[in-house]
Amino acid sequence: MDIAEVLKHTSPDLFIPDLEASDKTAALAGLVEGLISGTDIQNPDTILQMLQSRENLGSTAVGPGIAFPHGRTLAVQRLTILIARCPAGVDFDSEDGDPTKLFFMLIAPPQDTGHQYIKSLAALIDCIQDADLREKLMAAGDYESFCEAMREG
Amino acid sequence: MHPQLQLLVALQDMDEMLRETEEQGEEFEGLGFKHGGLEDLKKAREELASKIEPSLASWYRRLTGKFGHAVVPVVGNLCTGCFANIPSSFVSKTNVNKVQKCESCGRLLYWP
Repeated sequence: MDIAEVLKHTSPDLFIPDLEASDKTAALAGLVEGLISGTDIQNPDTILQMLQSRENLGSTAVGPGIAFPHGRTLAVQRLTILIARCPAGVDFDSEDGDPTKLFFMLIAPPQDTGHQYIKSLAALIDCIQDADLREKLMAAGDYESFCEAMREG
Repeated sequence: MHPQLQLLVALQDMDEMLRETEEQGEEFEGLGFKHGGLEDLKKAREELASKIEPSLASWYRRLTGKFGHAVVPVVGNLCTGCFANIPSSFVSKTNVNKVQKCESCGRLLYWP
């Protein structure tokens, strides 16, 4: 799956340029709040509980300064991706101990039988390996320039 | 949403996570994700399941065994498990705080 395809699952309303969070719990709450306000999705508690369970299984902060909170829940009808930057960084239990500054949150319905979200995760993780791209993403002025950098990545 | 339905939805989400970890764990590990908390997640699942009323928990187990998923979303007045029409009375104020079952297939209904 190419990045342009992945980006079809997000939108300007699902972009948080400056997430503020003091810890992992607050970061997850902020991401879910952004998801709810940017869509017609309801039931934030269900989504937050699923994400917290997923983090208890193992941290999703697997990239350099990047986390990919993800999972399936009945609370959504289609794959939805929220992008957030946290310029100050937040401790997200990454293996290297570095603060997390960039989030790609992928929420999929149980009936996503084509495993679109796993393919999207793989494409994002592959794309984000480039350090120059990561710098561009953190510096991008708005959602459009962020996505353009991703597509050119 | 009825508190018991909230628990059932959370339980099904957790079961989905456990199933995915067991069936596709290697694929996720190939992407860099680790699953060191699997046993803790199983314990959390049992703790959550213990909060569900026995009759509903039994119904959940029975339907999961039969259909794979016991709780399904209602979309466009249809049960997305069997596509039977869901009477509009099911979403009336008098019913909104009950755990509803599809009259056709018996699946537990969730309005997303």
